[in-house]
Amino acid sequence: MDTLFSIATVEAGIRLGLPVALAALGAIINERSGVLNLGLEGMMLSGALGGYIVNDATGSPWIGLLAGLLVGALTGGVFAGLVVTFRTSQVVTGIAFTIVAIAATTYLFQLRWDIGELPPRVERLGMWPLVALTLVCVAAVWFLFRRTTLGLTISAVGESPESADALGYNVVLIRWMATIAGGALAGLGGAVLVNGPLGLFIEEVTAGRGWVALALVVFAGWRPVPAVAGAFLFGLCDAAQLRLQGTATEVPYEVFLALPYVVTLIALVVRARRSHTPAALGDPYVRGAS
Amino acid sequence: MTSPDTRQPASGVTPSSKSTWPPKLDGWLDAVARRATAEGILSSILVPVVSALAALVVGGVLIAIDGVNPLSVYHAILQGVFTKSRGFSYTATVATPLVLIGVGYALAYRARVFTIGGEGQYLVGAVAGTAVVTAGGVGDLPRVVLIVVGLGAAIVAGALWGGLAGVLANRFGASIVISTLMLSFIGDSILQWAVRDGIRDPESYNANSRPITAAALPSFFGQKTHLGFLFALILVPIAWWLIRRHRWGFRIDALGHNPGTLNANEYSSARVTLSVLVVAGGLAGLAGMVETTGVNVRLGQEASVGYGWDAIIVALIGRLHPLGVLIAGLAMAGLTIGFESAQRQFELPSSLVSLITAFVIIFVVWGDAIAARWKEAR
Repeated sequence: MDTLFSIATVEAGIRLGLPVALAALGAIINERSGVLNLGLEGMMLSGALGGYIVNDATGSPWIGLLAGLLVGALTGGVFAGLVVTFRTSQVVTGIAFTIVAIAATTYLFQLRWDIGELPPRVERLGMWPLVALTLVCVAAVWFLFRRTTLGLTISAVGESPESADALGYNVVLIRWMATIAGGALAGLGGAVLVNGPLGLFIEEVTAGRGWVALALVVFAGWRPVPAVAGAFLFGLCDAAQLRLQGTATEVPYEVFLALPYVVTLIALVVRARRSHTPAALGDPYVRGAS
Repeated sequence: MTSPDTRQPASGVTPSSKSTWPPKLDGWLDAVARRATAEGILSSILVPVVSALAALVVGGVLIAIDGVNPLSVYHAILQGVFTKSRGFSYTATVATPLVLIGVGYALAYRARVFTIGGEGQYLVGAVAGTAVVTAGGVGDLPRVVLIVVGLGAAIVAGALWGGLAGVLANRFGASIVISTLMLSFIGDSILQWAVRDGIRDPESYNANSRPITAAALPSFFGQKTHLGFLFALILVPIAWWLIRRHRWGFRIDALGHNPGTLNANEYSSARVTLSVLVVAGGLAGLAGMVETTGVNVRLGQEASVGYGWDAIIVALIGRLHPLGVLIAGLAMAGLTIGFESAQRQFELPSSLVSLITAFVIIFVVWGDAIAARWKEAR
């Protein structure tokens, strides 16, 4: 058991928490504007593949991260087109979007590397640069919602799009921007996962981390700092699980395999009481409809 | 509006007519027709068909980019289903879990209860059912009893797994999408533990259960299709009847359209949410067990093949209608089976078929939005 509570486990926990933290920040921006982004997992996965391919091609993990960010923004744009402009059901579109992303990334990956061929390991970034990057993002999102007019406008659009519209704000444009920004952060999170702790891409590499991020946002009451704290809790469970897989313990290791998801489930239940859901979350905005 | 004079005589149904058995066919047809127009032929049939065609075109472009003639691939897919000797039989076998889980999803989605937990419910159902039929001392029981007990255990386990999400949603307001997903991951861990340790065959080198041959489902239509397909075929009219004629189906639709009315009539929407999750979970658990006892010999680590995910697509393309789910399930199974042989022949990536089906669902979502706009414009 002493190996479990070592510095190495904590470090691994931080590394595995970073991608989830970034995706959760993205989801906060999305949901504050009233767009429920159940495609987050798919956006993370798309960013992960983009980041991996570009890192493999250029040899630079930093350019890989940038690629993940851009791919994520692109997927955010597609999602915004569907749910904001075409006003499709946000729940169904989100689930469908993730299904498409899983299929598309697997297809592109199989197209690039034949089955049996070993996909190359890419150069990995160390922990500290990624921690710094995540902290910058947390600070930026915190500052956006606490100190800027733009942040207040986004929240207004998520609370009452009718009022925001009446005040002259362009609801559709703001939701588009928020969805693209959220997708970009989710894509960055996926790229961080692949170019940081893992150093390689496999099919469905995100393994539900995007969904975990969505659960953490509810747990954190749509606030960035608690969401990041929750992400590190998830990361620690994930690291403990990886560490215990090989060792023989009295508890079956599958318990630890399930642990991150059990913790997420508990987080979903013990959501912060003071929190409140953005009032217009999930509702498409139709001008003059109400 | 309710006076008999304004009622169209052609409708054939008057409020005073006592329901007789057999029911009047013209009245029934009229109800179906009215229903179809109310939902719109456009959105119920045209959108999925056009979406499927559009996805096949996108798939064709991808195949062409890969340097293969898409028409010959599609030709090979059709051949794989319609001319290969076991094409139909395999298609029915693959369609079985898709339809069983898909009908459960369809019922839940009608109530706007968005569960995506079919995969986990399928797995815990398979584990529970296998545990019962491979337990020590039950081997002497007659096969029929073993089958029934095994399927029953699977249904109960799946229903509990689904119901858990319902309790979490009703008591704590936990998002059903996320909780059912987390429960799916946990269900996979349970499977991994069960076949490695819990119900493992001690004489087997690989991590899998004891053989379940004593409870194997009888097969018909050639060698592959098993009794489970019959379950799926029976389920469709039952679910249809529940939706159209039963109070429960009415409450599901009421919850989906306006939960306020349900609560205003002093019926708890929480109870409908829970019941629909229990039913969907039970069906997924059943699917897990019929797949294990109908197709496989043992339950192994690789039992999670993704029917629980694919059935989401099947339910949505099938327009949340039992008959639609059956058609969509058969179509998806046919595409999968036909593609298996075409893939080997043309050396295409195995994931292409999931990409094509995934595109169908995006096009359906998009098509619905466009159809809704047209309706608004008119």
